[in-house]
Amino acid sequence: MNLRYVFKELTHQKRRTAISVLGLSIGIALFVILNALSLAYHEAARAPLKEVGADITVQRPGNVPEELAGAVFPCSAVTIGEEEIEDIKAIPGIRGMGKAVLLWIFDPNRAWIVMGIEQNNPVGPSILKNFITEGRYFETGKPEVLVEAAYARQFGIRLGDHVNVAGRSYPVVGLIDASHASKIAVANLYLPLAEVQAIAAASKNLQSVSPFAGEDVNLLFIRADQDRIKAVAAAVKGILGEKATVATPESFLKLLGSLFALSDKFTLAASIIAMIIAILIAFKTMAGNVAERAREIGVMKAVGWTHRNVTMQLLAESIIQGFAAGLLIAQAAAFALGFMTVNIPIPWEMSPTPHFLPGGGDPLFKTLRLPVHIPWSLAAFALLLSVIIGGLTGALLGRHISKIKPSEVLRHE
Amino acid sequence: MNKSDILVGIDLTKTYGELAVVKGVSLAVREGEFVSLVGKSGCGKTTLLSILSGLEHPTHGQAFLAGKEITGASEDELALFRRENVGFIFQSFNLIPTLSAWENVALPLFPIQMSEAERRRRATELLDRMELAHRLEHLPAALSGGEKQRVAIARALINNPKIVFADEPTGNLDTATGDAIMAILNQLHREQGMTILMVTHEPELAKTADRVLHMQDGEVLS
Repeated sequence: MNLRYVFKELTHQKRRTAISVLGLSIGIALFVILNALSLAYHEAARAPLKEVGADITVQRPGNVPEELAGAVFPCSAVTIGEEEIEDIKAIPGIRGMGKAVLLWIFDPNRAWIVMGIEQNNPVGPSILKNFITEGRYFETGKPEVLVEAAYARQFGIRLGDHVNVAGRSYPVVGLIDASHASKIAVANLYLPLAEVQAIAAASKNLQSVSPFAGEDVNLLFIRADQDRIKAVAAAVKGILGEKATVATPESFLKLLGSLFALSDKFTLAASIIAMIIAILIAFKTMAGNVAERAREIGVMKAVGWTHRNVTMQLLAESIIQGFAAGLLIAQAAAFALGFMTVNIPIPWEMSPTPHFLPGGGDPLFKTLRLPVHIPWSLAAFALLLSVIIGGLTGALLGRHISKIKPSEVLRHE
Repeated sequence: MNKSDILVGIDLTKTYGELAVVKGVSLAVREGEFVSLVGKSGCGKTTLLSILSGLEHPTHGQAFLAGKEITGASEDELALFRRENVGFIFQSFNLIPTLSAWENVALPLFPIQMSEAERRRRATELLDRMELAHRLEHLPAALSGGEKQRVAIARALINNPKIVFADEPTGNLDTATGDAIMAILNQLHREQGMTILMVTHEPELAKTADRVLHMQDGEVLS
């Protein structure tokens, strides 16, 4: 194979190159785009959890509170006991865990969605401290409150004000813009975890539905080894029971309902079809090239090129065309697809807002741009695929090329 | 078969179905000899040249080139043999349109492990001898007929062949240009002792060779 000759052929025979490029690249581009889209959907499905620094969220559904008064649990998230938490912590593959308590508190004049969060933990809603727009985050051990910024605006709550929650008064030390944060760890008020645990433990209404001790919680956020997420989720269900709501990127992917998200099997099947298309088109294109260049091939053979030399030369042209054009087209498609937005539905049971409150029954979505990009590994695989397709095509075309006899095609007319 | 014979054909026959194009031809060409094969169009001379140069297998008979029997060799064996021993000059030049003059000359060297600089040096040297040093980078489309044929001659010589086969080398050229090409072939023969077997239908051109073989209806008459 002579690269100079390859380059000259590709650059001088523009029409032929353009047709070949279009033909050969379709299969490769289709393959790359399908896989890039699949990766993008997988990436998008991680977004709601990634924003709280987790790979898995855990909650346990329970009974509806008998009376909406004082502090109650949403029926989608009741007590996860301290012992259960310890058992979960011991599951192999878990790299970190965050805890929270979500309460609905019905005071005589106002209803609050209150979340008790840890002071410092990279996993879970305490990452909201990065979204403080005014004031500051909690100081250790102090009974203080952070208010969601939009909620504070709506009800005229300012820094330095005091809010009364379940009979306790807390100074407002910061405002949080949770609109940029996850949809699954949103509340009106954020209090230190110990404060909310104390409120929950003291609530008779809550205790009558789901007994709650001082160190219990009702939301868990787990970071796990990427290849063990499924196993960890299964193990959590084993501890909390099959009814436990264990959200993983895969469960969000299923909610997306996209063709690409339906299953990896679809991508596999579509990729195989794309490869077959690529082989057929490559074969057709190369067969056309061989026929068109019979005289040239005759000259090459006459001056001493072997069958293998000729085949390798034509293959190199096809591989370079297929790979370069395939990646180029896929890159352009990835850029265009990157403007697509995807709405990731948040399951109702993970929505913190009571469905009977205004807007509480509305479906929740996490909207984001589809993160389509072509990783190097996929590009490398596309190159490998081009070589394989080129090799297969070359093998199929071997007889065509060997049938070209220099003495026949070089006869002067 | 004489030791000084570089090319020998014994009872060579080529048939296509019922049609016999070459009929029991036997001939020999000595090393350093310039032989013309002359005959009317369609008499089988190009087919005979193809058999003798290893481009085509005969239906019957044997051909020996540079001491090797080529009639039983495979296509790839023949290609490798031609790469090392044979140069071709065609009537239609048969240059690769996408390659420059020097790249066309170097075409037989492309499959060989050799540096780009060495290929270029050898091609440039030959084009210089053909007085085409100023046309190195030109594509065939930018060359005149005579220039194209001189590039083709340079290509035929790039592998230092033992014999050059020329098939109607002036057939597509005007008289003056054709004479110039013949002058180059004669010079190659005289000064370098190059063995040449030239096919032509023009008796006047054939006369410039050491020996003229006449062909008619698939048979060599003299």
